[in-house]
This record gives sequence, C-alpha cells and structure tokens, in this order.
Amino acid sequence: MFKWKKLLTAAICAGTLLVTGCGGGDGGSASKGGNPDVLKVGVTNFADTLEPTQNYFGWVVMRYGLGECLTKFDEKMNIQPWLAEKWEVSDDKLTWTFKIRDNVKFSNGTPLTAEAVKNSIERAFAKNTRAATFFEYESITADGQNLVITTKKPLPGMPGYLADPLFIIVDTTAEPARDFSKQGPICTGPYVVESFVKERAVMKRNENYWDGQVPYATVEIPSIDDPNTRAMALQSGDVDVAVNIAAGDIDIFKGNDKFHIDEISSLRVVLARLNQKPDHILSDPKVRAALIAGCDRETYNDVLLKKTFIPGKAPVPPSLDYGFDQLKDPNAYNPERAAKLLDEAGWKDSDGDGIRDKDGKNLSLDFVVYNSRAELPLYAEAVQSDLKKLGFDIKINTVDYNLIDNMGIKGEYDLLISNITTANTGDPEIFLSWYWKTNADGSNPQNGSGYSNPAYDAKLDELASEFDAAKRRQLIIDLQQILLDDGAALFFGYPQTNIINAKYVDGVVMYPSDYYWITNLIKPAK
Amino acid sequence: MIETFKRNKLFAIYSAAVVVILLVAIFAPYLTPQDPFDGNMRNVLQPPSAEHLLGTDKLGRDTLSRIIAGTQVSLFMTICLVMLLAIVGSVVGIASGYFGGKVEMILMRLADMMLAFPGVVLAIAIAGILGGSVVNTILALLVVGWAKYARLVRSLVIKLRNNDFIIAAQVNGTKTINILWRHVLPNILPMVVITGAMDIGTMMMEIAGLSFLGFGAQPPTPEWGLMLNEGRQYIQTAPWLMIYPGVAIFIVVATFNLWGDSLRDVLDPRQQ
Repeated sequence: MFKWKKLLTAAICAGTLLVTGCGGGDGGSASKGGNPDVLKVGVTNFADTLEPTQNYFGWVVMRYGLGECLTKFDEKMNIQPWLAEKWEVSDDKLTWTFKIRDNVKFSNGTPLTAEAVKNSIERAFAKNTRAATFFEYESITADGQNLVITTKKPLPGMPGYLADPLFIIVDTTAEPARDFSKQGPICTGPYVVESFVKERAVMKRNENYWDGQVPYATVEIPSIDDPNTRAMALQSGDVDVAVNIAAGDIDIFKGNDKFHIDEISSLRVVLARLNQKPDHILSDPKVRAALIAGCDRETYNDVLLKKTFIPGKAPVPPSLDYGFDQLKDPNAYNPERAAKLLDEAGWKDSDGDGIRDKDGKNLSLDFVVYNSRAELPLYAEAVQSDLKKLGFDIKINTVDYNLIDNMGIKGEYDLLISNITTANTGDPEIFLSWYWKTNADGSNPQNGSGYSNPAYDAKLDELASEFDAAKRRQLIIDLQQILLDDGAALFFGYPQTNIINAKYVDGVVMYPSDYYWITNLIKPAK
Repeated sequence: MIETFKRNKLFAIYSAAVVVILLVAIFAPYLTPQDPFDGNMRNVLQPPSAEHLLGTDKLGRDTLSRIIAGTQVSLFMTICLVMLLAIVGSVVGIASGYFGGKVEMILMRLADMMLAFPGVVLAIAIAGILGGSVVNTILALLVVGWAKYARLVRSLVIKLRNNDFIIAAQVNGTKTINILWRHVLPNILPMVVITGAMDIGTMMMEIAGLSFLGFGAQPPTPEWGLMLNEGRQYIQTAPWLMIYPGVAIFIVVATFNLWGDSLRDVLDPRQQ
C-alpha cells in the first residue's frame, strides 16, 4: 500500500513537471488574463544605476517610464512635442525658444518651469562630456515657461538633440537630499522608482502624472539578458511583455493567437569597423574591398537570421529615407572578384596551407566580437567561414561588452563588430560623424579605425550647418556613397526589433528610436 | 594481457569501447561524412534526415560530422590535460615526499592554497584572464588540478621512503635521480595511472563546461561544449543541436568512468 502511494506521488510530480514544463508551448499561463494592477516586463538592462547622465543609462531611465524629455520621436521618427509644447528658431537660426507645458509636475509635486529645465540641461552638460558632442550653447535663459537657448553656430538638429535621453528633465532641487544614482532621479514620467538593482526594477504609479491616467499601480521589470530565457519567461507567463525576442525563438510566437508581436525596422545597423591604420593589413583598399565582396550578406540575413534582419549595404538603414536604393555598393557579394583583388594586392597562398600570405605574413585578421546580442557571433562565424574559402584566416576574439567601447577607441582590432543606432537625434549626422570623421590626435575619439577622407570631412562640415531638409538628405546620401566607395566598413544588416506581449495587455508599441518601452499607453486589454 | 582480459570480462568490454572511441578520434578526418567546418548556408537548421543524419546547425554544417570531428578535439584536450596533471603532480609530489623539509613545506602549502579555491570558479577566472583558447583551457585546469595529484604522490612516496630497498640503494651510493627514477617512480605509477584514468571523464566534463561558458575552444572548433552552447539558442526550435552533442558527451564520459573503475579493480593490488 505504502509503495503504491509513493509511486502515485512520483507519477503526479512527474506529470505536473511535464505539464508546467511544456505548458509554454501553447501559451501556458498566458491564458490566465494577467493582473490588472501589475505589469511585468522582461527586458535587457545594461545600466548599473538610474543616473541619466552616466554613460548611456538615460536610455534605461526613459525605457522604464521614469524620465521624459522636451521632445520625442513618433513611430516615423518625426519630432513631436513632449514636455515642450512648441518651439521656434529665430531668423538668424541661433536662438531657440522652447515653450514648456505649464500643467506638468515632477513626481514629487514640484511644478515644471523653464528654470527647472535649464538647471537640468546644465546638469547634463556638467556631468557628461557626450552632451557637448551634440551641441554647444552660448547661453540658456529661463523666462517663465519659455526656455531660450542661443548657440554660436546654427544647429538644425536642436529639437532632435533634446530628445536624447541624456537630456531627460530631472528635478535638480531634489538633490542632494536624494541620491539619484541610488534612489533614481525625480522626473516627470508615468512611473516612479520603488526599487532598482541592475537585475530587477520595481516601479510605482506616479500620482502627479500630467498626461492622463497611469494604468498600473506597479510595474515589475526583471532584466533577463539571455534571449532564450526571456522567450521562455514570456511563454510561461512570468512576464507579460518582453523586448527583443531573438531569431531562434520568434517563430514560437508567430501564429500563436495568445501573443501580439510588434516588429519594426529599427534604426540600427550591425557593422564591422575595419582598422585601416597604416600598419594594419586592412589599410590596403583592395584587401578591404575583397573582404567586403567575399561576404554573402544576403544569405546571412535571409537564411541564418531568418529575415529578422534586412541585408546590409550602406551605413544608414532603409527604414530612414536617405537614398538606400540609389546608393551603389561597389563591393556587393562577388567571391571571384574578391579572389582577383587579393591576387592583385599580392596575397597568394605560397605555402599551400589554405591561408594566403605575403612577405612571410599570413592574411590573418583579429575579429573582436561580444555576444550579449545573439546575432553578433553568428555574423562573425559566417564571415569566418565565407572568408576562409578566399584564403583569409579570421580569428574570432570574444570579449565582454564593457571592453568593446574602449577597444574601438584605441583601435585594438582588425575587425570589430558593433550594433549601433544610426539616428538617435532624428537623423544620421552624428552617427556618420562619430565613426568616420577624421580623428586628428583624439579630436574624434569614436573613430579609432584610422579612416580619413578630406572630401568626407568637408561634406560633414557642410551638413553641420545646413537647415534645408532636401539638401541635408542629399549630403547624407553623398557621405554614404563615399564610405561605400572607400570600403570604410562592412555593413552586415539592419535589425528588425520587436516587442511581444500577451494579448491581455494592450497598447504595447516598439518605436524605431528604441527609447520608449513602458508608457502610460500600455494598459490591461478590455 | 589476454589473461587479464579473460579474468575481468567487464574490463575487457570497457577497454574495447575505449579503443573504439580512440579510433574514432584518431581517424575522425576520414570518418566524417561531410566537411565539419564548411556548410551550405542556404541549408541551415535542418532536422535530421537521410542526407544529414543528425541535422544541420546554424551555419548549415552537418551535426554528425561535427560531433565526430569533436571527438578528436575533446579527447585530445582531455588526454593532454590528464597527462600534464599526472606529470606535474608526480614531479611535485616526489620532490616534496622524498626530500621533505623546506621543499616539502613550500610545495605543500602551495598545494593547500590551490585546494582551498573552488576549482571550477578559479579555472573560469584564469581562462577568462588568459582569453579563451584550447591551450588556455588546458592551462587553467592544470593550474587548478595539479595539487590533488601532488598530495596523492607525496603520501605514497613518504610511505616508500623508509623501505629497505630505498635505504639499500642509498647506502650503495646510487645517485638520487636514479633512486627516484628506478625505485620510487615505478612504485607509485599504478596509483597515478588509476587516478588519471578515473579523472578522464571528470576533466572532459570540465573542459566542455568551460567551452560552454565561452572560455574554452573558440568557434569554429567543433568542440562538444561549444556545440551545446551554440545549440542553446535554438533549444525550442532545433533541439537536435543540443541533444546529440549532449549524448556524445554522456557516452564518452560514462565509458571512460566505467573503464577507469574497472582499471582500478585490475591494477590495485588491495582489490584482488
């Protein structure tokens, strides 16, 4: 009798395990209907603190529904009013006047004035040198609800710059009583921080929110860095919403009517920077051209990544209207041409080991990658495999994400993979300038590749003060064509990005800028 | 030899299995049905079929070919590691056991330090600092593992040291190096071999573990731990990428563990 009971218990346990384990396959507890007071969002978080001026942590402050800027981007990357209800620029293009909404309060009840905005922007400039790479101002003055910014040079991108999460408006009077980096800043968004560690944040409703009802009393935000785990958490109902489900898992949710997928073309590009400093193999334009022409980028994106990426060609993705289709890539996939170019450049396999060599040196390149994004090692291995057929020896060097930025600046690589947003201020000017403008003794530190072309620099200078939209567009097209002709970098592809939610939640939208994940538009479905 | 096999049927069976695995490893390049490095990228993540018996991976490479090629990589790494462990451990153990005094104190305190660390964590740290590669993995596990062998050998040597035949050799004026080589080493060798054989399975798991975490073999090396890690991303959509390398590890580790056990039964005089 006793044995029977034991067996029965074991069988029940095993059965339960099976049911819960496999439950994910058909949506599992996603059918429960969710809790109308608590929203759970599975994200990836890189921020150690919620101090918006530290590194890129402002992105997280904004994504978590905590911080807001003067302006924001809509689904088509048009600039929209946010905390500023309107703005204008003077006739000499040097003075900007932003009218701050007068019905806004910080979450602690302090009214939002132009003076508070001024202090907040000055705080960003004081705390992060990146602020000055967006714009430099002559003066900022506050007059009631009017904020006046004057600049030395005409800056057409000003409203877009102020949408960057670096310029999140915080209540500076709350400091030093409150330690922003530990307790989170005082902002104007729909939710406020209850607790924050890198792995998990809990947000509460902001009772002083200015823009309508805040639907959830609590938002729990676990950071689930592994994409598979994130997908499983969504399947099992551990989270109601998850961002960036990887190519390997997205098929599980497609065609499952319990989930809603919002998948859009992002503004990002995955590229390999090519180190072309004089003593590097890739300083030879023929080798660079051969390397680019030897990579079958269509197959990588259409087959390996199952069309979750658009095949790459130019620096700026086709989701932005900067002449993607009219740009000509001289180094489109053509392995025969690539082999010929290598022959011409003097790289021949003289010792028969399958690797080309020249002057006793192998055609061996160091490819630095990080793997916190699932697609990056896949691209790297695909390139390694394709280029091996041409006689390249690509050594993949996987490093931690935190090392990548510094290695890029110092130029410690032959190829270095990056997944970069191309238009964080609304257009690609900053992106094109950061990575390829001539870096003379550290004048443009992000360009550690040694790329330098005076014609390119001249066009960038022209772009910096051009207000006319049509002319800006043409300049950006010209800039891209120069990069393509020079074989400045290997552009792999443009990610689609997605946010997936269980259908008992409504209003979940992925924006191309990738800044706005949790908003007060997310609410329980009726 | 044949007598031994006849008396120990199990040992014979396990030895045969080990020989088969070794042969697969040695002749791997000739046994792979397809190129383990070069796949058809238009043909990725195919389920098992007649053409690809165990399916294809994320770059369209044949999984069966990669598993076979992986036998060579995994086994080569493991055997190198175990031999190095035995050699380093024996040298240190003999030195400290035979000479005693300060030599012993320094070497054994070093060994104590190494034993005080949680092994795998330290190995991850070392491999992480050195950077992932086949050689660095072996080095990392060597640094962590030698102390156990040194301890074992030292205790055996201390027992031997005062035996009459050693003292006789000393009295005869035999050179120390000859005593160690002719009299001490042969007496400790069986225990070292047994320990080594029983460690093969464990070490293979640790190597695969480091590779799984990204600290060991680097792509495109067909190493089983690395293949598991690569398959992890597709666990729900292409489970064969994780199942078959896992089965390969299971079979080989189990075989070597059983063989090590039965080898101990054969060699260890106390067991007979």
